[in-house]
Amino acid sequence: MSTEQPKSGFVTIERASYRYDAAGPTVVDAIDWTIPRGEIHCLLGRSGCGKTTLLKLAAGLLMPSEGAIRIGDEALAGPSPRAGFVFQAPTLLDWLSALDNVLLPVSLKRRPTIADKDAALDLLERVGLADFAMRRPAELSGGQQSRVAVARALIGNPDLLLLDEPFAALDALTREELQDDLLRLCALNGTTALFVTHDIGEAVYLADTVAVMAAGRVTHVRRIELARPRHRDMRYAPGFIAACRALRDAMDGAATASRRPAA
Amino acid sequence: MIARLPSLLLLVALLAGWEAWCRLGGLSPLVLPAPSSVLATLWGEIATGRLWPHLTMTATEMALGLGIGAVVGLGTGVLLAEFPAVSRLLRPYVLASQLVPKLALGPLFIIWFGFGMTPTVVITALICFFPLMENTLTGISEVDASRRELFRMLGAGRLKTLLRLKLPSALPVIMAGLRVAVVLALVGAVVGEFIGGRIGLGASIIAAQSVMDSSLIFALFIVITALGMLLYEAVRLIERRILHRFSKG
Repeated sequence: MSTEQPKSGFVTIERASYRYDAAGPTVVDAIDWTIPRGEIHCLLGRSGCGKTTLLKLAAGLLMPSEGAIRIGDEALAGPSPRAGFVFQAPTLLDWLSALDNVLLPVSLKRRPTIADKDAALDLLERVGLADFAMRRPAELSGGQQSRVAVARALIGNPDLLLLDEPFAALDALTREELQDDLLRLCALNGTTALFVTHDIGEAVYLADTVAVMAAGRVTHVRRIELARPRHRDMRYAPGFIAACRALRDAMDGAATASRRPAA
Repeated sequence: MIARLPSLLLLVALLAGWEAWCRLGGLSPLVLPAPSSVLATLWGEIATGRLWPHLTMTATEMALGLGIGAVVGLGTGVLLAEFPAVSRLLRPYVLASQLVPKLALGPLFIIWFGFGMTPTVVITALICFFPLMENTLTGISEVDASRRELFRMLGAGRLKTLLRLKLPSALPVIMAGLRVAVVLALVGAVVGEFIGGRIGLGASIIAAQSVMDSSLIFALFIVITALGMLLYEAVRLIERRILHRFSKG
């Protein structure tokens, strides 16, 4: 799983830059990045470092001002049907049940079949919400809503899962449960994932590779050499703590470096 | 019912005070008729059947005006929200058309459409148009940006996004606009009849005024108020049904 040699990239970001307008500041600055198939990569950084923008570039929600992004062999020209996206907030539709929310990606294209419904119920069961399929979002807790959002992103068996700080608003224990759920679901189908977070522990626990971002650039890259499947006890292992420490130092270093006068 | 008891008691007290003032204060019934005489007049109008054609006419004008105004307002709101270029082009004209005192257009509409129902329906529709348009526009533009991004990510086209995301999200705001429109529709219908009506509750008020029958004017106030409350409650009921379907709270 974690050979040192770079494998052929499934997601390839080639010198991608992004500016909101031609004269404006560069939010993402000539980033090169490769995610091999089946790996989980985390983008770690402070608010405003450009990590969410990079994620939206990978999703095809934004188009790079320069450079290109490829998923598999296709260059991205718009929102990718092969990618599932989990937003910062659960963004569920309040007037639909949990089940119908999970089925939304299907029902926007065609009438869901019995098989689709079974797949959705299966996903809900895997995130521990088998008994909540008929509840509306208002009747679910924040953690349960996030679980529905993850299930919705996985309904079409996407090759790539993109997540934008999806668990940031949850309490620490719920967040750890959801991280375990996510790892299990990704392992199930060998889903490739790019996960944006500002939580160092979360990044180390989830990732094969962590990239630290600051001021639109990747300033530090670290392979996480922890065995899979990961479990709770690893959080207290010396290797885990050392990785957290090194990433923290890298973030502090990046912050000092990016405090240079703005262009 | 228990919760409504205090407000019912207040009504009884006010009516009793009014009655006592009229009887003991020696006020001319031409200025302020006693509630008992107003009720007697109202009962007379109902019993003889004189009231019904007027009531039917006003209710019809109101319903037609509200229906047309609401549908056109909703459609325009959607159009302006979906096509910002159209919005930039038309917004000043739409606003100007709403700032013209619409009741002042009454005499013109009588020249265009003749006496009868049409001018009043047109005035009512014009009045109801604005709250529906404004609220639809606001409701649709306030749809959360990340939900719109979600629909883009899922490859939903413009029409699908409108029908499956924007309209359901905007529904509570649109329904609030409809409630405002109901109240305005009653004003539109009654005052429209002041200008050009021969039949209708508003026309009856003008007729009663010409013979100085203040008791009948008060009786008509009661009928108009009851009609308004009935329609308002009906819209509330529909609103609750639809919102319940869309968002169980």
